[in-house]
Amino acid sequence: MSELRFEDVTVRFGRTTAVDRVSLTVPVGTVVGLVGESGSGKSTLARAAVGLTEPESGAITLGGRPVPHRGARRPLQMVFQDPYSSLDPRMSIGDSIAEALPRDLDDVRGRRARRDEVARLLELVHLDPHRARDLPARLSGGQRQRVALARALAGRPEVVIADEITSALDVSIQGAVLNLVRELQAELGLSMLFISHNLAVVRYVASRVAVMQGGRIVEEGPTAQVLGAPEHDYTRELLAAAPGRKPS
Amino acid sequence: MASDHGRARRWRGVLTTPVGLTAAVLLVAVAVLTVLGPVLWGTSADAVDTRDVLATPSPEHWAGTDNLGRDILARTLVATRLSMVLAVCAITVAVAAGLLLGAAPYLLGGRAGRLVSAAVNVAVAFPGLLLALFFAVVFGVGATGAVMAVGLAGAPVFARLTQTLVAQVAGRDYVSAARVAGVGRLRILLRHVLPNIAEPLVVNATIGAGGALLAFSGLSFLGLGVQSPAYDWGRLLYDGISAIYVNPAAALAPGLAVLLAGLAFNLFGESVAKGFGVPVLVGAPELRSRGRAAAAAADAPTGTDGDPDEAADDVVLEVRDLEVVFPTATGTVRPVRGVSFDVRRGEAVGVVGESGSGKSLTALAVSRLVSEDGTVRAGRLRFLDQDLTAPDSPALRRMLGTSLAMVFQDPMTSFNPTRRIGRQLAEVATEHQGLGRAEALGRAVDRLDSVRIPDAGRRARQYPHEFSGGMRQRAMIGMGLMGTPSLVVADEPTTALDVTVQQQVLDLLAEIRAADDVALVLISHDVTVVAEVCDRVLVMYAGRIVEDVSAAGLATRAQHPYTRALVAAVPHMDTDLDQPLATIPGRPVDPAEVPAGCAYAARCPLADARCRAEDPPLVAAVDGSRVACWHAGEPLPDPVVRTAEDRTGLDALDADELVEAP
Repeated sequence: MSELRFEDVTVRFGRTTAVDRVSLTVPVGTVVGLVGESGSGKSTLARAAVGLTEPESGAITLGGRPVPHRGARRPLQMVFQDPYSSLDPRMSIGDSIAEALPRDLDDVRGRRARRDEVARLLELVHLDPHRARDLPARLSGGQRQRVALARALAGRPEVVIADEITSALDVSIQGAVLNLVRELQAELGLSMLFISHNLAVVRYVASRVAVMQGGRIVEEGPTAQVLGAPEHDYTRELLAAAPGRKPS
Repeated sequence: MASDHGRARRWRGVLTTPVGLTAAVLLVAVAVLTVLGPVLWGTSADAVDTRDVLATPSPEHWAGTDNLGRDILARTLVATRLSMVLAVCAITVAVAAGLLLGAAPYLLGGRAGRLVSAAVNVAVAFPGLLLALFFAVVFGVGATGAVMAVGLAGAPVFARLTQTLVAQVAGRDYVSAARVAGVGRLRILLRHVLPNIAEPLVVNATIGAGGALLAFSGLSFLGLGVQSPAYDWGRLLYDGISAIYVNPAAALAPGLAVLLAGLAFNLFGESVAKGFGVPVLVGAPELRSRGRAAAAAADAPTGTDGDPDEAADDVVLEVRDLEVVFPTATGTVRPVRGVSFDVRRGEAVGVVGESGSGKSLTALAVSRLVSEDGTVRAGRLRFLDQDLTAPDSPALRRMLGTSLAMVFQDPMTSFNPTRRIGRQLAEVATEHQGLGRAEALGRAVDRLDSVRIPDAGRRARQYPHEFSGGMRQRAMIGMGLMGTPSLVVADEPTTALDVTVQQQVLDLLAEIRAADDVALVLISHDVTVVAEVCDRVLVMYAGRIVEDVSAAGLATRAQHPYTRALVAAVPHMDTDLDQPLATIPGRPVDPAEVPAGCAYAARCPLADARCRAEDPPLVAAVDGSRVACWHAGEPLPDPVVRTAEDRTGLDALDADELVEAP
């Protein structure tokens, strides 16, 4: 396990600066929540970390070394927002997970070892291993999101980035996915960068929180401190707007 | 399995259209001829009869004979095989070359990729036949040369198509996910991209085969294709045309063959494209007009749902036994199954439920916006004493246009992107209130100002894309305020917005309510938002209202196990961090497969045999709340839901305060 660090990362698209000199650390075995509104640069930061976007300057390191974006071994994995578009509709969920398994699984027992590993991962996310041959269309949104989590875990990642993984789900299902995230974190000691616009959700899963606005991180610290005694005006504004706690 | 089923249904859909069926029959006939033609008529086609050259049609030779006395009809039938084989070869070459060129930009990426796509774009600009003639000269005269010519001439179009389709799929999350998992580009192309673009490619290849057939016949006709003694339809046409004044049938027979085969490919491709692109509704029952359907339903005795008593005076909207029915391949589905509720003047009613619970359709039915193929039935559906099930009339439209405001989820798609915001608002006033253009525009600016759009005069002259999401949503509300609405129906108005903007929009809705005593129906999946804004909450499950409870009582006094689970499943800022969140096992009910008995029984910890057999009616309690459950209010087994009791303190307080806040 190693620590994910963003150091002075800047991402630009043309003339707009999406991420502006961001430094952030995801310590080993912790879940760091990243909150902010759309356009604040949360997702861009995540995409830069996994190599889907090229940062203009700064460094993203894992255990002190740059995050590898080539080759079969990918120690940084990502779960996407929409479980309806993040699984190939023509590929069985078992195949989708198997695709992300490390290639070095024993070649002699190859097929069998892979099948067992897929079954183990499905069980880990509380899905019936017998469903490995099902197509995504037969699964509910929450089940799909669990498959996406299993796929991310298949690559034996050191850090997982979860980008708004519950915002496309019905509330009845969101709870199950959040429980699973906490459970996996406790069981596997997983490090996670958990991106969400929902403060209550972040509060529930993350031990540290970073607040992003306009491409910059404006406040960062332990969850209880940031949400309990916010220092930055923007954090206070976000807290005030969270539904269900309207000051009268 | 599910998708196999869907595919079979779509194929059936394609084959039951008259055009699709004709095309399929033609195509099968051509295929049979391709296989059997030379076997059956091979000898008669080659039988030389020098006594009977260039004969006109006769009982022995239906289309006459050629200059060697061979039967032209037999030759046309025999030529099917060569014509088809060549056309299929040509289209194969075209698709293969097109796939290579089209996928190259994705595989190469960067500058090399851009170069290939630029080259393809240039090649697309040349007319296909010109390219074919050019290649025919390059490859030399003969069948092989012609196949390459027609094939390569068709390649740019397929390359372009592939390129577009690949770019579309490559942007999907599952491709990103595969990249993050370390899968190489070639593997991604083969495993994720190609299978997902196969359908449109095959359809276009089928249509392309018709084109190739035509092009090939053209080349043969010009003498650049098949050479004697081999013959295809084009060659026969070439031979026949010289004798057209002696025997027109000699040219017409192969011409007709080209026409029919080409049509078969084209029409088949077209109808498959149509069938797979647009969902085909098969076996649709005859749709009755809305008015009559509603009248029929009104005659039936009502009262399956615990009816609130006869409408009081201040009721703005009265809904009794509302049903929405859609035709499907296998019959009908009823996504809304008998919904009854009232909305009083100035009251805010929230409708919550999971996706597919029928909450949005209920709102659309109230605004008369259910799409054409759906049927709306209701025992009573009255808005301000007007019957909403009545047939469309100018008076009804005007009443709805000025008294009912609708706010949709996505403010981008609810405005016409090509017209200025101010004009679109003003249209409501010119259309329904008979105001002049200038006057209406003035009112539009005033309304934009009232929904707190800064510098409204300038903003009114801007286009929708120049507004931010929150501002567009406010402008949408402003449009509703052009009249003097008595009811605002808002369908997930803040789901696409950020939290701080969401708060502004909700505040705005609350202000409008307070100022003019406007009623609000707020549809949302977010229990917290609804509890904050509304007076009363209707909880929908599988097309029915399962509970009708005051917003203040949502957290503490909810009776239905589904409502209680919904409330407990949502983390809020005071959720106990040491406990897992409540979850609801299973998945929502598919409207096409609503089980007997209570629809929630399969997911309910309290369900027993009675729940699975009998659907509980919506029963009103003394305090006016309603619930549809055989076990309403019974304690829930622990791990599934720990709700009201352990959270009562804080929530009850919060909720009560909320109601009192204006």
